[in-house]
Amino acid sequence: MSAAFYDHFSRHSHGEGLKAHSTHYCPGCGHGVAHRDLAAAIDELGIQDRTVLISPVGCAVFAHYYFDVGNSQAAHGRAPAVALGHKLAHPEAIVISYQGDGDLASIGLAETISIAQMGLPLTVIFINNAVYGMTGGQLAPTSLMGQRTTTSPAGRSPAMGQPLRMAELIAQLDGPVYVERVALFSARERVKARKAIRKAITNQIEGRGYSFIEIIAECPTHLKMTPQEAEEWVKTQMEPVFPLGVKKDLTVEPWFRPGTPSFEPEAVLGLSGAEPRREDEAREIPAWPAHLPARDIAIKLAGSGGDGAQTAALLLTRAAIAEGYDATDIPSYGPESRGGTSYADVHIAEHEVLNPAASEPHVLIAFNAPSLAKFAGTVPAGGLILYDSTVITAPPALPADRRIIPVPFTRIATELGRPMVKNVVALGALQAALNLLPEGSVPATLHHVLKDKPALLPLNEAAFAAGRAAVEAALVPA
Amino acid sequence: MPALLRPKPFLDPQYCKGCLRCIEACPRDCITPGDAINPATGLVPVELNLENCNGCALCLQACPEPYGLRLETDRPGPEGDFVLEDPAKLFGEKCVPNHSEGDLPDDRIALPACEPMVLKGTYASAIGALLAGCRHVFGYPITPSTEGAELMARILPKLNGAFVQAVSEVAAVNMMYGAGGAGLPCMTFTSSPGFSLMLEGISYMIGAEVPGVFVNIMRGGPGLGNIAPEQADIKLACRGLGHGNTRAIVLAPSTPQEMLDLTSEAFALSFRYRNPVVVLGDGYLGQMTGTVRLPAAMVRPGLPAWAVWGDRAHRHNLISSIALAEDDLEAHNEHLNRKYAVIAACEQRVDCHLCRDAEVLVIACNTPARMAKGAVEDARAQGVKAGLFRPITLWPFPIDALAEIMPGVRRIVVVEAGPGQLEDELRLALSHAGIAPPPIDHVRRCGGNLPQQAEILAGILEPEEVLS
Repeated sequence: MSAAFYDHFSRHSHGEGLKAHSTHYCPGCGHGVAHRDLAAAIDELGIQDRTVLISPVGCAVFAHYYFDVGNSQAAHGRAPAVALGHKLAHPEAIVISYQGDGDLASIGLAETISIAQMGLPLTVIFINNAVYGMTGGQLAPTSLMGQRTTTSPAGRSPAMGQPLRMAELIAQLDGPVYVERVALFSARERVKARKAIRKAITNQIEGRGYSFIEIIAECPTHLKMTPQEAEEWVKTQMEPVFPLGVKKDLTVEPWFRPGTPSFEPEAVLGLSGAEPRREDEAREIPAWPAHLPARDIAIKLAGSGGDGAQTAALLLTRAAIAEGYDATDIPSYGPESRGGTSYADVHIAEHEVLNPAASEPHVLIAFNAPSLAKFAGTVPAGGLILYDSTVITAPPALPADRRIIPVPFTRIATELGRPMVKNVVALGALQAALNLLPEGSVPATLHHVLKDKPALLPLNEAAFAAGRAAVEAALVPA
Repeated sequence: MPALLRPKPFLDPQYCKGCLRCIEACPRDCITPGDAINPATGLVPVELNLENCNGCALCLQACPEPYGLRLETDRPGPEGDFVLEDPAKLFGEKCVPNHSEGDLPDDRIALPACEPMVLKGTYASAIGALLAGCRHVFGYPITPSTEGAELMARILPKLNGAFVQAVSEVAAVNMMYGAGGAGLPCMTFTSSPGFSLMLEGISYMIGAEVPGVFVNIMRGGPGLGNIAPEQADIKLACRGLGHGNTRAIVLAPSTPQEMLDLTSEAFALSFRYRNPVVVLGDGYLGQMTGTVRLPAAMVRPGLPAWAVWGDRAHRHNLISSIALAEDDLEAHNEHLNRKYAVIAACEQRVDCHLCRDAEVLVIACNTPARMAKGAVEDARAQGVKAGLFRPITLWPFPIDALAEIMPGVRRIVVVEAGPGQLEDELRLALSHAGIAPPPIDHVRRCGGNLPQQAEILAGILEPEEVLS
C-alpha cells in the first residue's frame, strides 16, 4: 500500500462507506493501474511532500481524491499550462501533469506541444486508451482506424483524421529530453511502465528537463469488453499503431536552477526607471503664461513614421511635467510598424488635462503634406500651424485666421549634419512661436533624457536653438 | 531476498472489483476468479490460494485499486487501523522548507521618495504590479496592451521572476491558474479579443477561488474591430466572466496614475477575496503618457495557507472547481454568493466631482470621464448645476454613493465610448436598489471615437434649454 495515497478518500463522496477506500474507476480500468505506478514512483523517490499533481478533465478528473500530494484540477486540455504556472511559481515543487487522450491530444494540443517545446522540467503522463471515457465512449484523437465509437458508429474513417501518435510527435520536438511509450497489458510491460515513470520524474527532480510518458491503457467499459479482452485488444490492435519503446532519451546535465525572485526596492525602482527625489532643486511651478488662449493647450504633431513626431511629443510632455504642469501624450499610428502615418496628441494644462485627445488642437506641427492637409482644418481660428517648408514646398490652401509659420525643419537639421533632429528643430520653433514652457525647459529635458548619450546633446541643443532662431527671425517685422 | 521471507498479498474482498487483471499477472496461478457475489459491493472478487505464492508481488502491479491487492505487511493492525509509514523517516529530510501553519503574511517595504515619472498607462500598470509583488506574468501579444507585457519581459528576468509568452490567451490564463493556485500574485495584459478567450479560464479561477489580475485595455469590437479605444467589455467584466455564477471586482482607471494605483490595489483585492480582479482600461489609457507618482511602499508577497505550493505544510491543499454532488455545488455557490455580498457592501469606489448639489448628473468612467469632467465644468460656468459621478468600481457599482445624491438629481447623462454597457450597469444597480431614476439620457460614441467635451456639454445642456 503506497503512502502516496490517502489513507481515507475523504473527497470521494465525502469518504462515506466503501468509497473511502475504492476509486471511481470502472473495473479493470488502466487509470487505476497507472495510479498505482505513479504512487509507487512518488514513494520510491521520496517526493510526496514536494509533489503537485495536475488532474485533467476526463476520467482522471478526480485524481485528487486519491493522491495525498498537492493537487490542482485543471480545465479541459490546460493541465500543462497549469503545471507550468506551478513550476515557475515554485521550482522546487515536482509538478506532474496527468492527462487522457481527449485532454492532451485534442483540446489541449496547443498547450501540450508548446509547453513540451519550452522544455522546462515537468513530467507529463499521458493515458491513451483510444476512446473518450468520461463523456461516454466518443471518438478520441487516438481512436484506431475503423474503431466504432458513439460518434463514429460506422467506424473511424480517414476523413475523421487518423490516430495521432503523440509520443512520436513530442519526441521530434527539441524541448523534451525523454519520451517513452509504455503499456499495462502484461507483467513485463507494467514493470517497464514503472521504470519509465520513475525516470521521467527523476529527470525533473534533477533539473534535466521535460519528460513525456505515453501509457497505452485499457478502457473495458467503452470498448465493451472484459478487462482481459481489453488487455488483449491493446496488445494486438493498439500496440501496432502505437509502438512501444523509448522515442527520445537525451543525456542532459542538470541545468534548471532558477534564482529566488528579488524584492529589493533599489532593483525594482531602478529597473522601472524611477529616479530618486532631487531635493536640491527649487520647485516653483511657473505662472501660466497670460498670452495663451486657454489653461489647457492641445498640440498635435503629425508626420509619417520616422519623422520623429512621437519622440518630440514625449519630450514636450516630459518637459511640461518637469515644470509641474499636468501633461498627456497619446500616440496614434497607422497599421504599419514602420512608415505610414504617425501623429501624437499632446496636452499641457496648468492644473489638469481633462480631454487628452486633440481633435481641435490649438497648435499643429506638420512634418509632411498629407498631415498638413488632413489636420490644418481642425485647428480653430486663432490657432497656430507650424510646418516643415523643406518637405512641404507647395502647401495646400490653409484656413485664414490662423497663425501659419513655415519653417524649414529638415533643411536646418541637415545643415546641422543630422536630418533626423528635425523634430527637435520643430520643438525650438514651437518654443519661439508659442512660448508656453520656460525657455530652458525643453533643453533641460534633452539633457536629462540624453544623460547616457552625452555625445548627442550638443547636436540636439543646436537643433532646438536653430528652430527657435528661425521662427524669431520670421516673426521680426521686416 | 529468499522467497519465504517476502510478504505475500492479501485482499479485502470489498475493495476488489473483480476485474481479474491480477490473474494473468500471477506466474504461479495463485489467483482464481471468485464465484460469490460480495454483499457489500455487488461485485465478484477474486480468490487467493497462496500455498504456491513466492511473494513476487506482480499481482499488485496489475491491480487498479489502491486498496485492492496489498502486502501482508500493510494489513491493518490489531486495532483495525492502517499504519502509514512516514516518508520523511523512510527517505530522510525533505529538501523543501516547511512553512509554518497559516498564512505567511505580506511584507511592506518602504520606498525612498522618487521623482514623478512620465509613463504610458500600460507601463504604469506594469510598475504597479511589480510594486504589488507580482513576479509572474503570462500573456499573449495583442494591441493596444502589449507594451505592459514587453516591459515585464525586460524587467522580470532581472528580478528572477518569469514572463511567459504563452501559445494563446487560453494557455496564458491557465498558467495564471497554476501560479495563482500556488499562492503567488500573477497577472496578464490583454485586450478585448484576448479577454474573450480568457473567460473560460476566469470562470475556473473564480470557481476554484484563485487570485489573479487581468488588465484588459479595451479596444473596438465586435470581432477583430480595431485597436482604438472602446468601452464595450463592461458587460463581459461585470456580467459575463465565463460560465456559471461568476463575479469579479472591476476597476476602471482614468489616468496613468490610476493605472498604477488600481493595478497595485487589484492584487490586494484579489488575495483578500481569493478571486480574480479585472482592471478595465481603454485604448487611450493604455497608450497615454502622463504623470505618475510612485507609492511610499512596495510588497514582498507572503504565502497563503490555502496555496498548492508543493511542500509538506501545504500538501493537503486542493485547487479545484469541480463539485459533483448537487448539494456540494449549491453550498459552494452559496459560499461564493456570501463573498460577492461582502464585496458589494465593502468595495464600492467612486470619484464624485461637484455632485453634492448636482441637478444634472453625468456618469462616466475611464478616459471619457476626463472629457465629461471638462464638460461638467463648462456647464457650471454656464450656470447649470452639473456634477460628475465616476465609478471606479464598475462591479460592484457604487450604488450607495449614488443613492445619497439621487434626491437632488433631475436628470442623468451617461457618457460612454461604447454602446451603452455602462448605462446597463447603472440601470441594473438602480433597479436592484429600488431607486426610481429621473430621465436617463446618454452621449455615446463607438468604433474608437470618444465623446468629446463639446458633445457632452451639449448633452448636458440640451433639455435644459428646452425646459427654460
